[in-house]
Amino acid sequence: MESSRFSIFARYVLSIVIVALFVFPIAWFALTSIKPISAIFDKDGVVVFDFVPTYENYRVTLFGQQSIDVSENSRSDFGTSGGNSYDGRGSIISSLIVAIGSTILATGIGILAAYGLSRLRFRGSQGMLHWILSQRFLPPIAIIIPMVFIFRDLGLRDTHLGLIIAHTLINVPIAVLLMKSFIDDIPRDIDEAAMIDGATRLQVFWKVIMPMAKGGMAATAVLCFIFSWTEFLLSLFLTSSIRTIPVKITTFVTSTGSEWGYISALGTSAIIPGFIFILLVQNHLVRGLTMGAIKD
Amino acid sequence: MASVIVEKLVKKYGDLEVLHSIDLDVEDGQFVVLLGPSGCGKSTLLRTIAGLESSTSGDISIGDRLVNGVHPKDRNIAMVFQNYALYAHMKVRDNMAFSMQLSKTPKARIEERVNWAASILSLEPYLDRYPKELSGGQRQRVAMGRAIVRDPDVFLFDEPLSNLDAKLRVQMRTEIKELHQRLKTTTVYVTHDQIEAMTMADIVVIMRDGHIEQMGTPMEIYDNPSNLFVAEFIGSPGMNLLKGKIVQEGDKMVCQVNELFLPLPDRLDATVGQEVLYGIRPEHLIPSENGLKATISVVEPTGPETHLFCHLSGHDVCAISRERMNWKADEVVSLEPIVDYVHVFDAQTDQAVKRKT
Repeated sequence: MESSRFSIFARYVLSIVIVALFVFPIAWFALTSIKPISAIFDKDGVVVFDFVPTYENYRVTLFGQQSIDVSENSRSDFGTSGGNSYDGRGSIISSLIVAIGSTILATGIGILAAYGLSRLRFRGSQGMLHWILSQRFLPPIAIIIPMVFIFRDLGLRDTHLGLIIAHTLINVPIAVLLMKSFIDDIPRDIDEAAMIDGATRLQVFWKVIMPMAKGGMAATAVLCFIFSWTEFLLSLFLTSSIRTIPVKITTFVTSTGSEWGYISALGTSAIIPGFIFILLVQNHLVRGLTMGAIKD
Repeated sequence: MASVIVEKLVKKYGDLEVLHSIDLDVEDGQFVVLLGPSGCGKSTLLRTIAGLESSTSGDISIGDRLVNGVHPKDRNIAMVFQNYALYAHMKVRDNMAFSMQLSKTPKARIEERVNWAASILSLEPYLDRYPKELSGGQRQRVAMGRAIVRDPDVFLFDEPLSNLDAKLRVQMRTEIKELHQRLKTTTVYVTHDQIEAMTMADIVVIMRDGHIEQMGTPMEIYDNPSNLFVAEFIGSPGMNLLKGKIVQEGDKMVCQVNELFLPLPDRLDATVGQEVLYGIRPEHLIPSENGLKATISVVEPTGPETHLFCHLSGHDVCAISRERMNWKADEVVSLEPIVDYVHVFDAQTDQAVKRKT
């Protein structure tokens, strides 16, 4: 008995340690965002809780206040002229447009392709699967130069649509593969039963397969959203006036110093939309949606 | 309701021919069971009738209509699958209503039909549940409800009971038969279970390797198997088969099996010296005083009858008796074949040796 009680205790301790390990950076980041600059850089040592919380960083990054207005320190030589370069509102909107747009596009194209690859027999379907997968082997940096030129010629550079397309391109392969495995789990008999019930191929897909693959679509959408939300390289190269959050944050690192307060405030804020999105879809993130359809 | 006529149907997967020129005639309202071991092509035949597989050559007609190349949805058939194939995201009610919703049937009519089907299948209390909240038997009933609800020309069943436990299988067997007697819809039913075939069918079609071996009423097939395969496949415990030779004994022909001389039916179209298999069903090999001496190896009482597994001149045979005798292993029992029920098969061709008319 004693050993098992000990092992339960040890398990709890271990899980707390692991969770703490993962949560710490985020918590520290969030904590930094409400510290005054004097607490972020204290010459006497690390300040943990011993500071007066300030919302200055959020006021600047989320509400567009001039950094000079809330500054206690002498920042007047920087960022006062020509508006607030730390205003993250435009970036958040751009990031939302791009992430939602590319998620919808990648999931939509992915589910259609996944259904086709899972159900239709055609020459080279296996090869096509490998080809789709191979698209992920390529590091984005390898294609970035030609992409910049192509997008420029197509008038897509520095547009939301352009970035949506770029992110969709990267997301589609993984979306197809992921959703194909979900659709593969739905037995073909279900398609056939629906066809005998009078459904066309498209109706089978729309009314039967898609609702049953909802869990897979939700999981895929989460992955696509997170990728697009956090993607940096393509966004950096393909845009100049539109700044997604990751790109925007890097502009807070300047030759005169890194604005850790603003970085952490915008960074912390950036966690929230993704978090909300996952909360919204998590109800569908349950496995076993096909439960009851067939004899298990 | 409609007849189903299959003519010279060939199905190939690449170079592999799985159905060899099948001819099948299912009359309007008949219950036909396709029976055979796995891989014999019975499911492929059913799926080809359904339109889920295309035929390589040959014709299929449902009613008076040639349906080659017609999409499954336009054949007015209903199919029940082995694994139920229910729509997991829909309630029982919607599972059953799906086909009528697709055909844009008026709501009131759908409601009426679903309630009718539910009442026949005792599914009324479950109409608002999801398939995952039902037991296996109930799911199978939903699958059947989905089939009967829209009054199709033909029902197709693809081993619908093989996922159920033994007791439920017997119960559902009766229910399907009752349903057929009530609706009188033409039915093609695939199974590998000969008891299912015997108990349910008007006509049993026995298939092997993409050929139809024999077709007939259950009792015709049981009493007159046309070849060795059918004889072995139908009946449980199976027919006893003893390797022997036709010899002349006085003015009669008998079958010599090792040192035994077994009686043969009259007017048998056999020749002296012909190598044969002497077949006798266990229930036609009865304990009697002046029979063949056999040593009992195992006694299996089943309740209504007792199965005696015996050694008879180097062969293992089974005899069934309804007498309650106190048989024991290693005892010697005297068994007598009822000569009218003896089957003889040619050892070379495996075909039944017929009687002269």
